Amino acid sequence: MVVYRRETRGRTVLLAVVVVSIVLITVDSGGNGTIGSLRSTARNVIQPAQSVVNDAFQPLRNVAAGITSYSSVKNQNALLRRQVADLRGQLRTTRGSGSTVTQLEKLLDLPTVEDATGIAARVTGGTPGNFERTVQIDKGSDRGIKVGYPVVTGEGLVGTVTFVAAQTATVTLIDSPTIGVGVRLQTTNTLAITSAKSGSRDLTLQFLSDPNVKPQNGELVSTAASAQAAFPPEVPVGTVSGFSKGISDLQPTITVTPVVNLSDLDYVKVLRYPDPTAAPPGG
Amino acid sequence: MAIRRIRLVLVVISLVVLQTTVFTHLRVFGAIPDLCLVGTVAMAYEQGPVSGALFGFASGLAIDLFLSTPLGLSALAFALTGYAVGVFQSGLIREGRGIAPILGGVGALLGNGIFLLVGGLSGHDELFALHNLQVVIVAAIYDAAIAYAVFPFVRWAAGADTDRAWPSA
Repeated sequence: MVVYRRETRGRTVLLAVVVVSIVLITVDSGGNGTIGSLRSTARNVIQPAQSVVNDAFQPLRNVAAGITSYSSVKNQNALLRRQVADLRGQLRTTRGSGSTVTQLEKLLDLPTVEDATGIAARVTGGTPGNFERTVQIDKGSDRGIKVGYPVVTGEGLVGTVTFVAAQTATVTLIDSPTIGVGVRLQTTNTLAITSAKSGSRDLTLQFLSDPNVKPQNGELVSTAASAQAAFPPEVPVGTVSGFSKGISDLQPTITVTPVVNLSDLDYVKVLRYPDPTAAPPGG
Repeated sequence: MAIRRIRLVLVVISLVVLQTTVFTHLRVFGAIPDLCLVGTVAMAYEQGPVSGALFGFASGLAIDLFLSTPLGLSALAFALTGYAVGVFQSGLIREGRGIAPILGGVGALLGNGIFLLVGGLSGHDELFALHNLQVVIVAAIYDAAIAYAVFPFVRWAAGADTDRAWPSA
């Protein structure tokens, strides 16, 4: 009898948590402001503890990173030096077509990256989950950061802000399957949208404006100019690293390697785009 | 009773803080351990299916607040895992030294599998990717390794004898 009651209680509890969970998933999937506020509050409450733990473990992390990454950092350094040299060469050859496009953009009065003011932020960590491509930064709505602001480094585009708390924000990286960036191939001016797959750091180009385009390996891909775009134009996104087109393919498969090493971010800049005059709250 | 609850809340907060700080930097082959999931498995092993399901729901909900996936997804996956492990452990006749990592690994496979399945069905198509199977397997191995540390912690919070976390063979 006791066993029977215990089993019944167990099933009731399980049913209750399953129902509550499904309700929460359904409500949050539809975009609920209350749940967003709850998330923001939780992050604000736990942020001081996170800062203490992050600072305490910083030396340990540095040692671990030094041991595990020394060889790859050395190889990466050599590779980057070669890439810098290659890109300088490409920059010289593509400057002509780039400047023409820039002039046309000015004629259309589209906002550019120079128009946007930025907020420097430090990347405090990656995602606490296994199935998303995000990073946390140490600036939030207190500093005027808003959802949708583009995030860049000196090299190029990193991602976009997808969640903001008072002192932290979540940036979804461009190699996340949930993000597509409108881009332009620098030499041919072909427009496309990036697409990412789980587990791959490279992007593929879809919806090409010219299906017969044949880009060169190493060709620069940057954000495209369009009205109400999520990103300012002319921000480098990646370089073409692969091209293939089968006989029956309607469009070629163009692979793009991001110019920014998205797995090793330290400092980033959040652009106040498209409202560069937006000031932080209270000043 | 009240002290036990406070200890359990502190365990959940500690696991969430560690998960969102230290372990985000300790990624191996694209995977990090799920401390809250291992904690749920430990709770289910020590206290049975009901406690496992409730702890899984609470800790899953807490970690959901820091993820981009819908709130309640981890809570559902962890609660079901906690219940299943709790039911399974009641049928265990022998306990060995390796029970913590075995349950940690199996629980991680189950929990992450449910997470991907329900998440994919709820509209997050990107979760249905072959690469995520690799992540689940690596995360399960990782979870099995950290189970040695998490089991005694949860056992202490649940107010049980800590010797059971490392039972003699």
